[in-house]
Amino acid sequence: MRDSIPYLTPQEHLGKVEPSLLDRERSIAPPGYSRWLVPPAALAIHLCIGQVYSFSVFKIPLTQLLGVNKSLPSDWKQTQVAWIFSLAIVMLGLSAAVFGRWLEKAGPRKAMFAAAVCFALGFYVSYLGVVTHQLWLIYVGFGVIGGTGLGLGYISPVSTLIKWFPDRPGLATGMAIMGFGGGALIGSPLGIQLMTHFRSTQDTGVGKTFLVMGTLYFLLMMFGVFTIRVPRKDWKPDNWTPSVKPQAFVTTHKVDVDTAFRTKQFWLLWIVLCTNVTAGIGILEQASPMIQELFKGTIVPVAAGGFVGLLSLFNMAGRFLWSTASDYIGRKQTYYVFFVLGAVLYLVLPRTGGDHLNSVILFVCIAAILISVYGGGFATIPAYLRDLFGTYHVSAIHGRLLTAWSVAGVLGPVLVNYMRDYQLQHGVDSAGAYQTVLVVMSGLLMVGFTANLLVRPVEQKYWLRSASEYTGPDLEPQRSH
Amino acid sequence: MGESKKKSSMVLIFLAWLVVGVPFAWGVYHTLLNSMELFRPAQTHGGPK
Repeated sequence: MRDSIPYLTPQEHLGKVEPSLLDRERSIAPPGYSRWLVPPAALAIHLCIGQVYSFSVFKIPLTQLLGVNKSLPSDWKQTQVAWIFSLAIVMLGLSAAVFGRWLEKAGPRKAMFAAAVCFALGFYVSYLGVVTHQLWLIYVGFGVIGGTGLGLGYISPVSTLIKWFPDRPGLATGMAIMGFGGGALIGSPLGIQLMTHFRSTQDTGVGKTFLVMGTLYFLLMMFGVFTIRVPRKDWKPDNWTPSVKPQAFVTTHKVDVDTAFRTKQFWLLWIVLCTNVTAGIGILEQASPMIQELFKGTIVPVAAGGFVGLLSLFNMAGRFLWSTASDYIGRKQTYYVFFVLGAVLYLVLPRTGGDHLNSVILFVCIAAILISVYGGGFATIPAYLRDLFGTYHVSAIHGRLLTAWSVAGVLGPVLVNYMRDYQLQHGVDSAGAYQTVLVVMSGLLMVGFTANLLVRPVEQKYWLRSASEYTGPDLEPQRSH
Repeated sequence: MGESKKKSSMVLIFLAWLVVGVPFAWGVYHTLLNSMELFRPAQTHGGPK
């Protein structure tokens, strides 16, 4: 049924139908097209959508839209504004899960275009929300529409990159997902500088900043849309031949997204990602207060802000370096390193504080490694999925796996804050309260270690057996005319 | 007959990387500047000018 054509236009009957500029057919790379043009296309998308992580720069200005220099009683509260970011992240996970299958059929160009439209539209609708002072418009704009753009944009270049770099899938996806980390580094100073530029005695400048950012991001994303190309069928890198030696965890077979969803491997990787992200978010969330409380009198708030900036650099670098390393040491081994290293370092981290070793440098180094592992976990997972399920539906499977991120986004901060509050209420001092939290994080990583340990190659019964089962883009259309 | 294989020029590849590299480098530069605050002695912060 899926291959049946319910209606044919006269042009289709004559075989003259022209694919649209956004269709997969129009984005097939001509002979000689360099694969090194593809990572910049993916980066253009990820650098833009990564802006979501710098949304906090708008938090205070959004609570002063009416008062401009201070919050008036009729201004929005911080707790209300905080929902915008949460909504965007929830929509990221949901849209990646829901639209992943469509993306595999439509191709990366159409999906990236849809992502760009949603992301920019999110800013424009939010502009209307600012000028009319209607918070629900920002929830719908940045949260729902923009968040949908985030999910589409996050997964859209993944399978294309993996197909262009069959010899280095970890490096390829690491480059793109590093861009998501880098997006916050651009979004934060850009947002601040634009708000400063547009600020006046009657205006915080947030609205105009949204308009400009939406437009700039749309333009950069269009560069990605029209630079992305999918490789021709049977294309392979020059001087590269697939390994003839069978590798236990690297499949040469294909598993479709719905079947993958039913395998235990999918859910084990879901736990792997969820535990790694939960532990990482735990430290990201508490980075600034943690360093100040562990080194009372030594680290002031401005320096703690610098520490958070440093962490974002290591978060980004970890995405590229760890996923590239996974091409050499293997995906499963890379996650073993993440979990063992993380579990040990979470236990050591509170010992570096003022009451014990009193070494800021050691604390910063350990936190930097931990956060690089967090980023590395994000960037290595697409290549792990490719190893287990093949390239056929890897973006769609990745999309569904990102629901682990949505869960971790709630679980991590709740776990850390709840446990810390409990400790404080029971008379533990603020520095000591972190110790228990970090021990629990370490235990969580052991759960991830066990899940990774249990991952086995996907059983043969889940493989797509014949070409007739294919409905996706990897094959020529199987039409029975 | 083999199909013609016009290779992407190095200039084009360089320009493509430049489009994403410039904003990326700008962001990294700003973050590094902020990070330097961590290594500044505590007494220099917040004092009257």
